[in-house]
Amino acid sequence: MKKMLAIVLTIALLLGMAPAFADGETITLKVWGSQEDQELLGILIDAFKAENADKTWDISLGVVGEPDAKTRYLEDPAAAADVFAFANDQLIDLVNADALYEVTRNLDAIVAANSAGSVESASLDGVLYGYPMAADNGYFLYYDKSVFTEEDVQTLDGLLAKANEAGKKVFMDVSNGWYIASFFMGAGCSLTLDENGNQLCDFNSEAGLAAGEAIRAFTADPAFLTGDDSVLTGGMGDTIAAGVSGTWNAEAIQKKLGENYAAVKLPTFTANGEQIQMASFIGTKVIGVNTQTQFPVEAMMLAEYLTNEASQAKRFEMRQIGPTNLNVAASDAVKANIALAALSAQGSFGVSQKLVLGTYWTPAEAFGTAMENKSTDDMQTMLDAMVAQIVGE
Amino acid sequence: MKKFKAALLKLPRAIGRGFKELAEMFIKGDLRTRLSYLIMGFGSLTHGQILKGLLYLGFQILYFFFFFGFGWQYLKDFGTLGTATQIKVWNESLQIYQRMPGDNSMLILLYSVLTLATLVPLIVFWRLNIKSSYKAQKQIEEGIKPNSFIKDLRTMLDERFHITMLSIPMLALTCFTILPIIFMVLIAFTNFDQTHQPPGNLFTWVGMTNVTDIFLGNTTKRNTFFGILGWTMVWAVFATFTNYILGIILAMMINKKGIRFKKMWRTIFVITIAVPQFVSLMLMSKLLTDTGIVNVLLQKMGWISEPLPFLTDPTWARAVVIIINMWVGIPYTMLMASGILMNIPQDLYESASIDGAGPVRSFTAITMPYMLFVTAPYLITTFVGNINNFNVIYLLTAGNPLTLDYYQAGQTDLLITWLYKLTVNQQDYSLASTIGIFIFIIVATVSLIVYNRTGSVKKEDQFQ
Repeated sequence: MKKMLAIVLTIALLLGMAPAFADGETITLKVWGSQEDQELLGILIDAFKAENADKTWDISLGVVGEPDAKTRYLEDPAAAADVFAFANDQLIDLVNADALYEVTRNLDAIVAANSAGSVESASLDGVLYGYPMAADNGYFLYYDKSVFTEEDVQTLDGLLAKANEAGKKVFMDVSNGWYIASFFMGAGCSLTLDENGNQLCDFNSEAGLAAGEAIRAFTADPAFLTGDDSVLTGGMGDTIAAGVSGTWNAEAIQKKLGENYAAVKLPTFTANGEQIQMASFIGTKVIGVNTQTQFPVEAMMLAEYLTNEASQAKRFEMRQIGPTNLNVAASDAVKANIALAALSAQGSFGVSQKLVLGTYWTPAEAFGTAMENKSTDDMQTMLDAMVAQIVGE
Repeated sequence: MKKFKAALLKLPRAIGRGFKELAEMFIKGDLRTRLSYLIMGFGSLTHGQILKGLLYLGFQILYFFFFFGFGWQYLKDFGTLGTATQIKVWNESLQIYQRMPGDNSMLILLYSVLTLATLVPLIVFWRLNIKSSYKAQKQIEEGIKPNSFIKDLRTMLDERFHITMLSIPMLALTCFTILPIIFMVLIAFTNFDQTHQPPGNLFTWVGMTNVTDIFLGNTTKRNTFFGILGWTMVWAVFATFTNYILGIILAMMINKKGIRFKKMWRTIFVITIAVPQFVSLMLMSKLLTDTGIVNVLLQKMGWISEPLPFLTDPTWARAVVIIINMWVGIPYTMLMASGILMNIPQDLYESASIDGAGPVRSFTAITMPYMLFVTAPYLITTFVGNINNFNVIYLLTAGNPLTLDYYQAGQTDLLITWLYKLTVNQQDYSLASTIGIFIFIIVATVSLIVYNRTGSVKKEDQFQ
């Protein structure tokens, strides 16, 4: 038997598939975080090791940003990190692949410490699957106070009229499913799941049609500008006077606008002669524990530590990332942050991104691209085609 | 083609001969040889070839350990690719839902392929063992002493030297190329996609569903496949021949008598090679966006009022991709063409001009035939390379602009970049694998037909 085991192991080793065997002492954990978070994570992990010095830790850091976590995880669950941060819209796919440990240890304390919305965003059917880390995955409007008044930024029409007057641009990345959904969901359309977990989408309804025409009118406006983040941060204060984006650009935009820096909830748009508030996707970032880990309990300890009050305060201090922890959110420093205030104002029109499956993004982007290219095709046909692809006909 | 058919026919005959031989040896062989059919090395051991026999026996024992200790646990589930998903059990002391590992379809498939592949060396050695026992039996009957182990080893350096030389490359080829290909091909017949991800959900065999999905079942997928295939072909033709012809013309211009500073011109064009391809491609894609330098500059100069849709309009984007590919590729063709052009005997041109041929006539009657003859294999490889030219497309446009007519693809996507998107963004491995097989079929057919028709192959012996 021993011999057989030895042979099997040798072969496994030769194949490079040798499972990591613990010598009982060292706890080996791999953590994934975004490139920008590496320094912060390094500090937090060192603090964690110091606090738990009774065990020998070997914690390594890998660069996998929250948006890529699911993709990279599914490539090879066994080789993925034990503890990884992900955006909560990946929750369903990850749970379907049985990738995440349920949060069962210290559950009540974790639920009590974080905002109800963030806990809900990391839960599925009442089970919490991750440790809420950040509530900043949303977007709102940045604007230049020297161009717009507070009145102007209430409506999209007002924004565009003033921008045209001043010869400036209003920026929104319409060819991106994340932003374009703002119009549809504002008009009352929704992205949900049926009982089998398939995507449902009614963007081709009557309300969706009105939203689609509003997008067409917006992209046709001379003041409309699209592009990626670098376009916004590069042009803000110069050619761009207002732009839809999230907190990750706050620092760059503040630097460019200086005194004139301002942020506010998204404006309303005109559909069928009515003013409709633009909605937004609200996502959280969550830390999950891989079900394939050799050390579930220790991995949970680390995940909990990385999302506790002190760590979230540190995260806000270093990266101005919005906290989910109630105490940190109530601190003066967070309250004084203009971008986070705008985000939380937009929060009441936010829609959780949890029920959006991976099939949504490409068709939505394709529709946005058609809009940006000033397509004159029949709106209903385009919406039907987009929805057919989203629901996977 | 004839050769190919002949080879196809040869294979079953060879297998038939092998079986006949085995049966013959069993009938004519003595008890020791016959026992070798069950116990490897038995014949050699009892015919006095102790070391050889021990090696055969050892191989068989090792193989049994491998097969029953490792391979069988995966192979037994090969038909279903696993049924038990990972399950959770509440652990009161740890306060967690502990995971009880279940089957993993991917590992079952992977290790089953590996285990099945090891049957090949088993059969080969098993046959060798019988043959050697039979041979030793014959030799003893004839009164000759069977080869000693040392003598056998010597033959490996002598008349069987090719086996010694080629066994390691063959092994590596099998492990790193053939086995992965078999594995990938098999995935095309499963439903391994986003909703069937082990360990939470398992995937299983679905037969030809993926193939029928592309060709019959799903209009969007069919449109996407043929739409992208069409563009892939257009792209490959343009990308190959624009580079080829313009490269030759550029080389001829530099090579022309009377042009001064030849080396300098050549160096200038070669400098583009010094910048890594992906850097220039990514820079280009930045330059050509709506708010990129090119558009901003043109707008500031007042030449245009709206940004030019370099990468956002389908037709523009396709043209831009081809043009930028020229910029990236022409220097290489120029270098190659320069070398060949200098090799064309000058007296050919001289006699042509005496006969009254102008420069165009010399080009079509001397230069091009000569170039085509020498570079036909190069053209084919470039063409095939362009069908799968991931870099240029992905780094420049990422397949965009996207369109609602296509399934998860854009208008400049090639089959290979679509495949990439399906695997990386959608985890739609089975569909991607199916497309991969089609790409292979297309590429292989095109290359085989064209290659066999080129002058370089047909008139190989007539060169010069």
